[in-house]
Amino acid sequence: MQVTSHKFKENVKTALGQPNLRVALDRTTGLLTSRRRETIAAYPEYAEARTTAARIKDHTLAHLDHYLEMFEKNATAAGATVHWAQTPKQATDIIIEICRRHEAKSVTRVKSMLGEEIGIGEALRDAGIERVETDLAEHIIQLAEEPPSHIVVPAMHKTREEVADLFRLKHHDPQKTDDVAELVESARRELRPKYIGADIGISGANFLIADTGSVVTVTNEGNGELTTTLPKVHIVNVGIEKLVPSMEHCAVFIRLLARAALGTEITQYTTFYNGPRRQGDVDGPEEMHIVLVDNRRTEIFDGYMRPMLRCIRCGACMNHCPVFNAVGGHPYGFVYPGPMGAILTPAMTSLETAGDLPNACTLNGRCQEVCPVNIPLPDMMRRLREEQWQRALTPASMRYGLGFWAFAAKRPWLYRLGTRLSVAMLRLLAGSKGRITSLPLAGAWTRHRDMTAPQRGTFMDQYRRRRQP
Amino acid sequence: MNPRDAILGAIRASLGHEPADAANVAREAEALIAAPARFQPKFDNETNRSRFMARATSERLTATVDEVGALSDAPGAVRNYLVRANLPLSIARPPAALLRDLDWGDVSGHETLSPDEPVAVNIADWAIAETGTLVFTSRPDSPTLFNYLPLHHVILLDGGKILRYPEDYWAKVRQSGAAHPRSTNFITGTSGTADIEGQNIRGAHGPRFMHIVIFGGAP
Repeated sequence: MQVTSHKFKENVKTALGQPNLRVALDRTTGLLTSRRRETIAAYPEYAEARTTAARIKDHTLAHLDHYLEMFEKNATAAGATVHWAQTPKQATDIIIEICRRHEAKSVTRVKSMLGEEIGIGEALRDAGIERVETDLAEHIIQLAEEPPSHIVVPAMHKTREEVADLFRLKHHDPQKTDDVAELVESARRELRPKYIGADIGISGANFLIADTGSVVTVTNEGNGELTTTLPKVHIVNVGIEKLVPSMEHCAVFIRLLARAALGTEITQYTTFYNGPRRQGDVDGPEEMHIVLVDNRRTEIFDGYMRPMLRCIRCGACMNHCPVFNAVGGHPYGFVYPGPMGAILTPAMTSLETAGDLPNACTLNGRCQEVCPVNIPLPDMMRRLREEQWQRALTPASMRYGLGFWAFAAKRPWLYRLGTRLSVAMLRLLAGSKGRITSLPLAGAWTRHRDMTAPQRGTFMDQYRRRRQP
Repeated sequence: MNPRDAILGAIRASLGHEPADAANVAREAEALIAAPARFQPKFDNETNRSRFMARATSERLTATVDEVGALSDAPGAVRNYLVRANLPLSIARPPAALLRDLDWGDVSGHETLSPDEPVAVNIADWAIAETGTLVFTSRPDSPTLFNYLPLHHVILLDGGKILRYPEDYWAKVRQSGAAHPRSTNFITGTSGTADIEGQNIRGAHGPRFMHIVIFGGAP
């Protein structure tokens, strides 16, 4: 996909200027976070499951070569063909070649972030093959010709009213009202014939099981199984980090994934695929291909970001991120937004391109707190900032600003004078309201929210006052 | 270098060791999931059957459940459901002898699926109490699509085949020593989506209604 992470600040300005976006974000993340809280409160064994899950991933990564070979052997034995791709280009070349060999005209697709990562949509378009997105959200953004804005609910930036207008424009037999149930029904009517007519179905995978060679998908809509069962070929594109040793290990993650992502105990459909149609079967694909994709995961593997490869793509970190909740996923400019995207985007593009992302973070730590595999996201953001500083990629204004701050911080009398003056000035600006609605030199900040006025007295003043008996 | 060797080579270079001894790795992996009670949700005061029924009929899963004495009573319960739901007395069912041999009375059956099949009746291999999940596996007499294409998904379930946890199901598969089927489907309620404003809507692409008829087993 077109990476626009280098224009993050510009993108943020555009996002903040869209009043509908805030409504859409609040409606969705509000529900997702409250549901998550409830299901985890009802699962007292959660902490133990979370620790176990992180250990399983660490173990699998520590023997990744071993498990990849084991998976390849077992998947091949089940009749699947395993392909390896280092780059997105290699991956899409393999997929397009399979499509060409089968003279495919139409491909149905189940949402997978890896597919977005390798640009499968563009590759199919360039090859002149029709691509039908079957996940409801992906269907919406395909019609709107927009990129996804969230990894689990990619059309979360759209209100129901916007979706209704879009369907009225694009569907053959659209709904009558803006009711969400009617919108869903309209999409069902539109997509059903497409499933039947597709030559090839493409899916991702949530997990790969090393000791059985199985591919596991976790979905809610049932579009996955229709996509992978009806066409004569099923292609799986998947990152090499998705491995777990066995079905029993996978069970630990399935309990965590739906709770973290959607606030439910399990999704409606969890499917374990083992190769193509067997002798006597009346449905299922005749061929199954699994494309294992690196796309710089081996580089991530090599450094301090290795824990990032534990990520199971649940989206909890972004649902709980104040920055994501203010601007949505589009400003991040890549497949992965929010906290996990702020790590993966620099890793998969470059720190030069995506340097703003690890800085768009308040370091409040909620992302790690809600992460079902305990990825130290804030620590990695700090490491990325350090790396930027060392490589002199930090903008001049920030370097001067920090230099100025360091000068004062090393001179306590100056620092105290400065903070005292600032407190007085901010309180004066706030007046009796206790909130500052416009701040000189920080208009961009106060345009979208008020700044809270500081308490009376600096920290040192208050400390001294309270120490007096 | 081909991509496979390049990827494995890069991983081995980072790990800085020769491939580990397979038996050791397996032991280490096994230890990680020892004593699964640590992380399995406990429901000590519920039987497998009561937990399964509570979950299946929950607001989230939206299934309805009937209990009958024996498999031979199931067609009657299915007929009642069809009448209640205002459906024609005609069902799609997989080409399984177990289903074919039942006395369906005036309910006609066909072993094919149309793209807009209104009702399919199937029989589950197993169920999992923890989450109210039904387990199906693909075989010549159990095609996958019977569980995904119809609008009404009616399932017959042997009350004696409700397991407590998914781990118990995988243990059964291991014990049997059989190869994994092409497709193992864990199905928990009806097709749903929360893609528009996070609202849960039923019948996104697959079944909108689920009705489970439990036969036999300790009540």
